[in-house]
Amino acid sequence: MAPKKAAQPAVVKELWVENRLGVHARPAAKISSLANQFDAEITLEKDGRRVEARNFLALLTLDCPQGTRLVLRAGGVQAREAALAIAALFARKFGET
Amino acid sequence: MTLKNLVLQGIPASPGIVLGRVKVLRGREGYQVPPRLLYTEEEVAGELKRFRLAVEQTEEELNRYKAELPRELKEHSHILELHLIMLRDPMLFQETQRLIREQHFNSERALHQAFQKVKEVFQNIKDPYIKGRIQDVEEVYRRLLGHLTGEGQSLMLSFSQPVIIVAPDLSPNETTQMSGSPVLGFVTERGGRTSHTAIIAQALEIPAVVGLDNATLEIASGELIIVDGLTGRVILAPDAATLKQYQAHKAEFETFRAEVAQGSAFPATTTDGHGNRVLANIELPEEVSLALKYGGDGIGLYRTEFLYLRLRRLPSEEELFDNYKQVAEAMAPREVTIRTLDIGGDKFLTPFQYPSEMNPALGLRAIRFSLKEQTIFRVQLKAILRASAFGRVRIMFPLISSVGEMREARKLLAEAMEELKSQGAPFDPQMPVGAMIEVPAAVTLASLLAQEADFFSIGTNDLIQYALAIDRVNKQVADMYQPLHPAVLRMIRDVVQAGRAAGVPVAICGEMAGDPMYVTVLLGLGVEEFSMNAAAIPVIKRVIRMISLAEAREFARQALRRVTVEEVNEFVINEMERRFPEIFRFGRTLATI
Repeated sequence: MAPKKAAQPAVVKELWVENRLGVHARPAAKISSLANQFDAEITLEKDGRRVEARNFLALLTLDCPQGTRLVLRAGGVQAREAALAIAALFARKFGET
Repeated sequence: MTLKNLVLQGIPASPGIVLGRVKVLRGREGYQVPPRLLYTEEEVAGELKRFRLAVEQTEEELNRYKAELPRELKEHSHILELHLIMLRDPMLFQETQRLIREQHFNSERALHQAFQKVKEVFQNIKDPYIKGRIQDVEEVYRRLLGHLTGEGQSLMLSFSQPVIIVAPDLSPNETTQMSGSPVLGFVTERGGRTSHTAIIAQALEIPAVVGLDNATLEIASGELIIVDGLTGRVILAPDAATLKQYQAHKAEFETFRAEVAQGSAFPATTTDGHGNRVLANIELPEEVSLALKYGGDGIGLYRTEFLYLRLRRLPSEEELFDNYKQVAEAMAPREVTIRTLDIGGDKFLTPFQYPSEMNPALGLRAIRFSLKEQTIFRVQLKAILRASAFGRVRIMFPLISSVGEMREARKLLAEAMEELKSQGAPFDPQMPVGAMIEVPAAVTLASLLAQEADFFSIGTNDLIQYALAIDRVNKQVADMYQPLHPAVLRMIRDVVQAGRAAGVPVAICGEMAGDPMYVTVLLGLGVEEFSMNAAAIPVIKRVIRMISLAEAREFARQALRRVTVEEVNEFVINEMERRFPEIFRFGRTLATI
């Protein structure tokens, strides 16, 4: 078996929902498709409820209006890249206002 | 005798008024899912296969719809994208398969149960917009069910006579089919203002009222009704006087809408002959078509972050150049103002990981980041310069707070020019260079910055946030975010005056520029370029064409005389509504679509 690249330690990041409409369908779609691009386990947690970032409907049901604080956790080979990319998506308000 | 003028109140979903005969559609309600249990492993395997096949067929169907979408609806293809994502979402796709495998349910029953579970979770969502997305899940569910059973396909809307459709619900795809059909308007029992069905109706300019409970019971086929998509009212059995009144109202609105649309291609010149430019803010090259459709005089703000954030690496000069060139060419001979990167170090995929910051708004971002990461900046500068050979391109630097930053950025730009020259690459050596005015320090230094810049662009969103020390996202203080705050008005005035003294034109590109409420005061303060979301352009142009610069100046003087934000708000809102009653009766609805 080929030697497996050591998994990076988990990354934890605090994120804020800044766009006016919150995590509605389009942002959730963007988050889940971005999460799918990485070799990493990514979850988002709000008030103790944790969902997988790949899971579009679960993201929607997390109910995140503007001003929500989320905790992102990422583990796996591309944990850091994934966390940065998702944090960036939040920071640019998913391309909205 | 039937009651006359019975009024039902729903939710306005698409502006416009329409009178016509009703066609009530029922049909897909009460569809019973045939439950069945599976007994052998073969049956389970076969059932899983059948389910995946239905998913694939649904996928094909959605992709076909996407490809065949009428031109005026192209920008709404994301709805179909969403449905494609939902189709493969674990809560539907995996859960259904799990139920087939573990509970030995047949596909229909498993899917039904998975859908019911999603529905339950959605019921607890507070945000009405997100809650409304259950309608999309339901459409995906129904479509999938249709493929499983061979029934329940979306109803084809083929009518020979003009009709108003009354239905329990209409899917976005059914609404899409109304394009070019004799459907005058529609009323549904379910749905909300932000549902995809509503958005499509708006794009097709079909008046619609949604969320009208029991509509299919209260309204009968063949009945004459009035649908008022502006107020959400539906009037049954209107008498002669009501009909006449609504016909007048309808004509008035349609004239207004047509005038706004027709006027969008014409220049925004005040009644006393003073010309202004109304431009579009864009983020992606594709949005150029919207800018042109709504009569944009150019692109006043081209945000360039998207490529950096979407790719999992830094974009190459070639990739950036391709994007910028595409926009410059498509807009030529109109001007395109490209803003250099406006993001912070912690959001960036560079070899060096910047720590996340306590106060990102006050941290290493925008021009500060570019001046620190000069390698990244140089690549972008060269790409913008090269694009300038293909149209009329301007460059602007975000978050300028000192003369030194402006000089440093210009120096790097000059070096990039030298480099391109030695490579023999064409560019516009006269490309105008602008400073974004978003930091109070830049307002104070405006007359000095005017010596270093060819133009200014005021970014009101950030300027208001920094000037008033208000974080809009913080609900505790969000209501103190006030565009008409006396301090904000004075800052805009000072920047315009400093610019004018040095011959530097001043643009405005925040949200404030696209709201009809603020046009007169901005115009009166001396702003000559307004950049906004493309859809707002026609209405803003119309307001500008209805006033004289002299009036606007007097208006701004009056506003500046008020010393509290409450007084300014009261003055501006009252005066604007008095002067432009139709804009505030119809126009804000049109501008916000």
